[in-house]
Amino acid sequence: MSRESILNAVKANKPEALPLPDIDLSVFDEDINLIERFKENIEFVGGRLLELDGLDTLDIEIKALYPEATKIVSCMKESALGTVPVSKDTDPHTLEDIDLTIIKGNYAVAENGAVWVSEDDIIVRALPFITNDLILVVPKNAVNLHMHQVFDAISERERTFGVFISGPSKTADIEQCLVVGAHGAISLTVVLY
Amino acid sequence: MAHAEAAAKFNENEAKVNWHDKALWFVRQKRDKQAHKIQGWEQLRDYASALKANVLSNLDNYLVQFEENAKKNGVTVHWAANAEEHNKIVHSILQKHNAKKIVKSKSMLTEECHLNPFLEANDIEVIDTDLGERIVQLAQEPPSHIVLPAIHKTKEEVDELFQEHLGTKPSGGNPEYLTREARKHLRNKFLQADAAITGVNFAVADTGGFVVCTNEGNADMGAHLAKVHIACMGMEKLIPQEKHLGIFLRLLARSATGQPITTYSSYFNKPEEGKEMHIVIVDNGRTEQLSREDFRRSLHCIRCGACMNTCPIYRRSGGHSYDATIPGPIGSILSPGKDLTKHSSLPFASTLCGSCSDVCPVKINIHEQLYKWRQIIVKDVPQPFVKKNIMKAVGSILAKPKTYDFVGKSTRFMLKNTPKSLINSKINTWGHARDLPEVKGDNFEEWYKKKTEK
Ligand code: SF4
Repeated sequence: MSRESILNAVKANKPEALPLPDIDLSVFDEDINLIERFKENIEFVGGRLLELDGLDTLDIEIKALYPEATKIVSCMKESALGTVPVSKDTDPHTLEDIDLTIIKGNYAVAENGAVWVSEDDIIVRALPFITNDLILVVPKNAVNLHMHQVFDAISERERTFGVFISGPSKTADIEQCLVVGAHGAISLTVVLY
Repeated sequence: MAHAEAAAKFNENEAKVNWHDKALWFVRQKRDKQAHKIQGWEQLRDYASALKANVLSNLDNYLVQFEENAKKNGVTVHWAANAEEHNKIVHSILQKHNAKKIVKSKSMLTEECHLNPFLEANDIEVIDTDLGERIVQLAQEPPSHIVLPAIHKTKEEVDELFQEHLGTKPSGGNPEYLTREARKHLRNKFLQADAAITGVNFAVADTGGFVVCTNEGNADMGAHLAKVHIACMGMEKLIPQEKHLGIFLRLLARSATGQPITTYSSYFNKPEEGKEMHIVIVDNGRTEQLSREDFRRSLHCIRCGACMNTCPIYRRSGGHSYDATIPGPIGSILSPGKDLTKHSSLPFASTLCGSCSDVCPVKINIHEQLYKWRQIIVKDVPQPFVKKNIMKAVGSILAKPKTYDFVGKSTRFMLKNTPKSLINSKINTWGHARDLPEVKGDNFEEWYKKKTEK
């Protein structure tokens, strides 16, 4: 193993110690309507925003948006649409033909349309990627201005796996033409309530 | 082949060059829009640059801290001094699991180490799963851009490649159709894979975790389906603390493609139950670059590609003309550090306009470093006779005012009177695509004299 020789070379070659910068987060403040900015960005990244007053009508709204979906995984007790049960022991390969997945998101980020989901919310890590369509349900008061606030909010969690998801999977690798639905979810709806 | 020759080849197809040029400039403009949209963009760049400088000045301790935390999370950490060792480590992990089918997401490091041919020679199938990378893999070419690997390919070329390798129908290069077919083809590969290899965008010293960013979701499809996940990282990918991810994630995609963030920013800390996670930390010339005071800032690079998109030379010469894993302005300061003779023409593949440094999210003084390499190269690497002697002559002229005056007058005479056949002749490379400027009237001094005499 080259561990020691690498570390010694770094020690010998590194410059004089430079301090960590003091980061003043107030320079990033903006006085804006967070929901409006989030909406703008989620649409910019190819997603859709659905605003609800509460979760009572959640299932009706989802049904209306995805009438064809039959194989549905619901990871939240507020939605009873789930038809495929999933647990920690589920082999992710068996999720290959899931039509729709409904997940609770913890935080949303206005500046970029992203939603933070952690392992606890998705049960099986592959789920939000392998599903054909994805719904993320986030409370309105969990919309933050920028990434710094969200990292602050999640700093106390148990660290396993987590992901910021901003829009559906996409690629522009063929002559820069944007195509939505590369390997991950083909559509993304964020429900704010 | 020197950069200029390779660039000339790329320029044979004028329509394609124009497309390439415009497409990348469009990405640059998208970057500008996103950068101007948020409050405090310049402060973000300053903080990112200061953070990277701090990392480099304390890299050994951060590496040890990262290793410690990653181990606590149940991740196995490996160290590789060079490409060969990196490849052997990856191979030994795969052997242990008897893994024969591998899916890989984008990683410039594994390109740099030539991992694919090494594994293939050992009877292992490696599939690049980023669409752009899959396209160049099928074409048996290296990526020509670090973020847009197949930017040099037309949709018709992709159409043909897919017909040949994936059995698609001729579609005239329909991107929707081709992407759908690639999705099907690669889904199978994800489902069958024994192990997944990914790159690392940021590794966090104080948590031992790492972040991988993709738009397609290919890194996650690979890593979460396979039993084993191997993440390969250059040692400079470290950042001090988790909260600093906020700074870097805000900068990366905006600078790269003009998106506010990539579709997926996946943060891996612990392996999923019943699975294995490995991290390979690679030096491969980085500690050497760290020792070079003038060039160590090149290790700040977060591989966003913005300096390529903005570079007037890159846009018109194509990534392959650099004949290096990392092309473009940043590649031209990294590559000479690895092999000065082979890459001696790269620092000259620049107008020194400084646009690269202006857009760089971590504020690398790219154009100044290019200039510094030029000074070293002119001293250390044998230059073509003509270039060398012209430089000498110019130097001695500039040193003597009288001669300068005379030469100035005669140059203007020559500019006015030199026959075109001489300018655009075969031996004068400079004149292949250029003409001399039109000269009107006097030089500044003569003009000034006349003005004041009146
Ligand atoms: S040098 Fe700067 S602009 Fe170029 S790829 Fe690296 S981070 Fe991006």
